[in-house]
Amino acid sequence: MTVVPKTRREMPVTTLSVPVVGSAGKTGFWRDFRPVWTQLVSPCSYDCPASNRLPQIFEAIRNGKPEEAAKILLETNPFPSITGRICPHFCENNCSRGEYDEAISIRAVERYLGDFILTQKDAKMFVETSAERQKRVAVIGSGPAGLAGAFYLRKMGYTVTVFERESRPGGLLMYGIPPYRLPKQVVEREITTLKKMGVEIKTGATIDKQADLERMKKEFDAVLLSTGAWKERNIGVPGEDYMMHGLEFLKQVNEERRGPPGTSVAVVGGGNTAIDVARTLKRMGAQPVIYYRRTEKEMPAVKEEIAKAKEDGVSFIYLTLPVEVSESKGKVKLKCVRMRLGEPDTSGRRRPIPIEGSEFSVEHDATIKAIGEITDTVWIPRSLLSKEGWINADPGTSAVSDNVFAAGDMVSGPSTVVQAIAAGRKAAVNIDLYLLGKKLGPQAKPEQPVQVGRMNLHYYEPQDRPKLREVPPEERLRSRGKEEDSTITYEEAEREAYRCFSCGYCRACGVCWLFCPDASIDLKEDNKPEFDYDYCKGCGICSTECPCGVIVMQREEE
Amino acid sequence: MQVVAAYPITPQTSIVEKIAEMVETKEYDAEYIRVESEHSAMAACIGAAATGVRTFTATSAHGLVLMHEPLHWASGSRLPIVMPVVNRALGPGWNIWTDFTDSMSQRDTGWIQFYCADNQEVFDTIIQAYRICEDSRVLLPAMICLEAYILSHTYMSVSIPDQDDIDRFLPAYKPKWFLDIDNPVSHANIVSPEWYMEFRYMIQQSMENAEKLIPKIDKEYADRFGFRHGGLLEPYRCEDSDLILITAGTMATEAKIAVDKLRNEGVKVGSARIRVLRPFPKEDVRRLVRSAQMVAVIDRGVSFGMEGFMCEEIKASVYGEEDCPPIAGFIAGLGGRDVTFQTIERVARMAAGWLQKGKAQEKPVWVDLKE
Repeated sequence: MTVVPKTRREMPVTTLSVPVVGSAGKTGFWRDFRPVWTQLVSPCSYDCPASNRLPQIFEAIRNGKPEEAAKILLETNPFPSITGRICPHFCENNCSRGEYDEAISIRAVERYLGDFILTQKDAKMFVETSAERQKRVAVIGSGPAGLAGAFYLRKMGYTVTVFERESRPGGLLMYGIPPYRLPKQVVEREITTLKKMGVEIKTGATIDKQADLERMKKEFDAVLLSTGAWKERNIGVPGEDYMMHGLEFLKQVNEERRGPPGTSVAVVGGGNTAIDVARTLKRMGAQPVIYYRRTEKEMPAVKEEIAKAKEDGVSFIYLTLPVEVSESKGKVKLKCVRMRLGEPDTSGRRRPIPIEGSEFSVEHDATIKAIGEITDTVWIPRSLLSKEGWINADPGTSAVSDNVFAAGDMVSGPSTVVQAIAAGRKAAVNIDLYLLGKKLGPQAKPEQPVQVGRMNLHYYEPQDRPKLREVPPEERLRSRGKEEDSTITYEEAEREAYRCFSCGYCRACGVCWLFCPDASIDLKEDNKPEFDYDYCKGCGICSTECPCGVIVMQREEE
Repeated sequence: MQVVAAYPITPQTSIVEKIAEMVETKEYDAEYIRVESEHSAMAACIGAAATGVRTFTATSAHGLVLMHEPLHWASGSRLPIVMPVVNRALGPGWNIWTDFTDSMSQRDTGWIQFYCADNQEVFDTIIQAYRICEDSRVLLPAMICLEAYILSHTYMSVSIPDQDDIDRFLPAYKPKWFLDIDNPVSHANIVSPEWYMEFRYMIQQSMENAEKLIPKIDKEYADRFGFRHGGLLEPYRCEDSDLILITAGTMATEAKIAVDKLRNEGVKVGSARIRVLRPFPKEDVRRLVRSAQMVAVIDRGVSFGMEGFMCEEIKASVYGEEDCPPIAGFIAGLGGRDVTFQTIERVARMAAGWLQKGKAQEKPVWVDLKE
């Protein structure tokens, strides 16, 4: 109630009022624009194939809760100690901090959290498994896609059996990626955690006939196909049989089944397998030479890996294509042709065109081709395959047919571990929907990430990202299994968390509350703002000041 | 005081530096708020005082005039903030020496204004001021003015009473109303023409109450602690004086020496010190000048286009009085130029000359002005 004095003697010495009933005194109606607190998608989350919720993870680290950060990370990526080592970190490419000083070292933080989880007494404690669902799912292939699918299906409470052809689970993680990039103990510890969650893994299980698949379909409520892409593609040149296969070579080395095929080794290709093969050879004492038909700029391999291969002393010969392979006196002879770059092709890269009359020959002890892999489709009905020979799974739902789903390289062709993980999770989500009898559907992806211009960067000082402690080339070449760099410390991870602009995600900094000239912002228990629209005049100071760009001014409806 | 918010400015710096140091070493338990300007210093004091705590700040010259807007706000909100002002000249020309124009140009802001003659008085007046300002009949802020360097940068032994004795003289501040989150009110909010005048009238009344209260508090303080500073206006050998010299601050001390000297020569002269400019001691002035034949007012400041501030005030106070003596204005000591007993002696002799003629010069005399 407003107290209105009748005489001067009843007046207080200065103007005072008790809260007014009704709209009188409420200045909110002066407003043309209202501040709205909203959560947008950061460029890192947007670019991450697994949609890792990175600003939330950094927030938990800033709050001194690495366990919480780890849990948030596991919601989208079950194997952060793996991707934290080998991911090509799509997340860092468009980091807003990149334009300011240096992108946040997101992968290093992910690796820190991954190792943090694995070094805890019980890594399983980070994953709460739902009540048992009484439905059984078979996962065929234990690479990143299959294991991610198994992880999330198990988390949902399903009984999951993983079938693996080889003697050890992990697929590409175990047999493909060299140990200097991904120590096998890391893979083993991730798989141990998975087993502790209750995932059954049957190794040495051969599933190579169409009948096998039919049996699985009946025996299980759902089947997830995820056998990857292991078969080497053909170049289609005479004498190709003299060439060894890149992935097969890596597998044999990883199984400790073979040594180098010679001293001077030609490696043909420009992808990650080619680089892995060359760097592995270098560690075995051989002298690899990479032949690639385009230039370094067009190489599909991860840029850091190309740089490291050069540091290792791997030779590169660009714009060169082998056109004939032959063998004589224990040497492999490569007849090559020089290339030039023409117009861009469908991949956006400039097409290599042979230069007439430029043929020349080289001799090596051995040749390994690594020009890309295809999937082994002998045991898959032809009706389930695409023209190009990949499994024909629905891109939104991963569904193939009946109760069969597929994920990973056998759907997409050779990609990255993180893409396989994302595919495995997508398949798990859809298998769950299928088993619950619900309609399958693709998960909504935001249209675009928040733009750096929305953020107020005045709150940050330029600060470098942490330097990874790397083993120098001369030392790392001594052992094939020696990991090349080390995990960052908690302090470094914390510093990165503070460097993070938290694009589009409220930092709970309270700047809006501090600046609001009308005291119309309250901070909730989590320190995030709540607007008092009775008094907010819509000046927009909160929106301008907000470091994260999460306060959007919306026009009031007339 | 519980909250101090201040921005450093020469020659006030040593005051706030010392307080900051004492807060830092926990010798003194208060919240010290660092601010980016004097405007903010006063704003912070207003905010703190509105929650019912005792507040303190100090400033000088440009700092004070930058505060002009919140000075009005403090008095209008009836907040008993106490603020020493180290009187310094305003630039340009850039000048860090003393001059009363800074504080005297703020006389209409609704603040009580004391002008001190020595460091003991500065200390005693700060204690007195809290007592006066926090009195429910007053509830206004106060400036304690002291001249730059002459007082701010010279040493004098000062008697400091025991804390317990001071606490008995000045108990904790218990405001009748204050900002309280458990009992929310809005404070200093909008008021319509229907009521605005009444609020202003109450400020005027409070000033009148303060005029009565200041001499009483000064006497009570003197009875307890032994120092008396003259209430509103301190006369010296004025009883039978034909000529009375009126000034303020340290110039009044010099005036006493000049008076003693002239008295030895047989000149019937006395002096008086204006201790409080707001509320202006109208009654005291009238009583003082009634018996005199000539009054000379020495101002260390000028209202351009008129005359010295105090001269104006004194003339206005005696308007309409019967047998009013001529009042002569003197402008002296601007920007820190020395005003010694010799300066004042020259003023007195000039005024004594006019006394013989029975008429003073109408325009103010600028003392020691270069040809």
